[in-house]
Amino acid sequence: MTRAQAVWVIYASLAGALLFTLLPLPMDWRGLRPDVAALALFYWVLALPHRVGVATAFTVGVAQDLIEGAPLGLSSPGLMLATLLLLFNYQRIRQFDLLQQSLAILVLMLISSGIEQWLRNGIAVPAAPWAGVAGIICSVLCWVPIRTILRHSRRYYEVY
Amino acid sequence: MVLLLLCLAILFIFRDHPRMTTVQRGAVDVVAFTSNIVLAPFDAWDSLLDSVRSRTALQDEVLRLQQENRVLKGQAQRLASLLSENARYKALLNSARDIEDELIAAQISSVSPDPARHLVMLDKGAADGVEEGQPVLGAEGLIGQIVLVGEYNSRALLITDSAHALPVQVNRSGLRAIAEGSGDIDRLVIRHLAATTDIRAGDLLVTSGLGGRFPHGYPVARVTNVEIAAGDAFAVVSAAPASALDRGRHVLVVAQSSQFEGAIAP
Repeated sequence: MTRAQAVWVIYASLAGALLFTLLPLPMDWRGLRPDVAALALFYWVLALPHRVGVATAFTVGVAQDLIEGAPLGLSSPGLMLATLLLLFNYQRIRQFDLLQQSLAILVLMLISSGIEQWLRNGIAVPAAPWAGVAGIICSVLCWVPIRTILRHSRRYYEVY
Repeated sequence: MVLLLLCLAILFIFRDHPRMTTVQRGAVDVVAFTSNIVLAPFDAWDSLLDSVRSRTALQDEVLRLQQENRVLKGQAQRLASLLSENARYKALLNSARDIEDELIAAQISSVSPDPARHLVMLDKGAADGVEEGQPVLGAEGLIGQIVLVGEYNSRALLITDSAHALPVQVNRSGLRAIAEGSGDIDRLVIRHLAATTDIRAGDLLVTSGLGGRFPHGYPVARVTNVEIAAGDAFAVVSAAPASALDRGRHVLVVAQSSQFEGAIAP
């Protein structure tokens, strides 16, 4: 413990990503909002798997539910499973080029939001599968910029 | 694994547990507070634009509002006499007297980011007398009901949310039906009306007061389309909400409705 490890950067970026969810959008365009919180979470799992894992995914999911006013525990299981998959495969996914990485993120997002839609049907909360798919496509397009921003901030603050 | 089980347990077993609701109520205020901070620059921009509006535009608006006010006052004069007349008739019929509903003025401060829901945040909460289950009115009619109350903010579910349904009545014929939210912001659906029912495009739907949640007589929607497929037993009726749900920020919460003292919270 000779140096500060700037772990706060991780949590600050996750909180910032959650704030992005609160930005106003017209009613019908809300489906297109990229899920920046999930992307930030995936980035940190990929970069620092010893720091960010399933428990963080759980917390991010609960925060998302509270922000959306959804029943608690709706987003967490999907994010946790996607995080688990990422933890098993992070060494492989790190070697991918950006396109391959984006595709891997696409698969993870499909899994996490698929589980969420499935749970929504299970407890009779309205689901919007098509808006979900549009949001996932927007999210995947945002992977490269978000990865770049977070990578720079990770190096700048020397988070490890 | 434990966390996953916890999630599923919360979702399927303890969803309406008082402790969960307490957490969600607490979060309402926190979320509203943070979103107000996020929205502050946008609001500042709006008020900046407002403050540089020209003098003539403001004068025009004052004139318009004065005229509107005069017209409304004129109508209210008749209303007073009609109300007293109505009260006398009701007294003759020995039925309960209508007391005026108590209204709380509120503003929509933000919309839930969940694209599948039509949930909005209001800037009034338990401290102002808002309670769960109270109806919310827009400029031209009913727009939703309160579902979650924090101390200073609350969440309202709009009538077009696909998990929402409310009992209505056709104003012209007195026919009763259930208007369900469709998930589209400008459409309500009435299913299970016999194909021979007397309902037409243009009919006004008002709250029927059945169910004990919404007081009787608030306009809800206007029928836009009646679809009767040959051979089907039921018509599919579409209606457009009377109040534009995605426009306007000022709403009224019906705090105390004389008609249902014992209305049950959700």
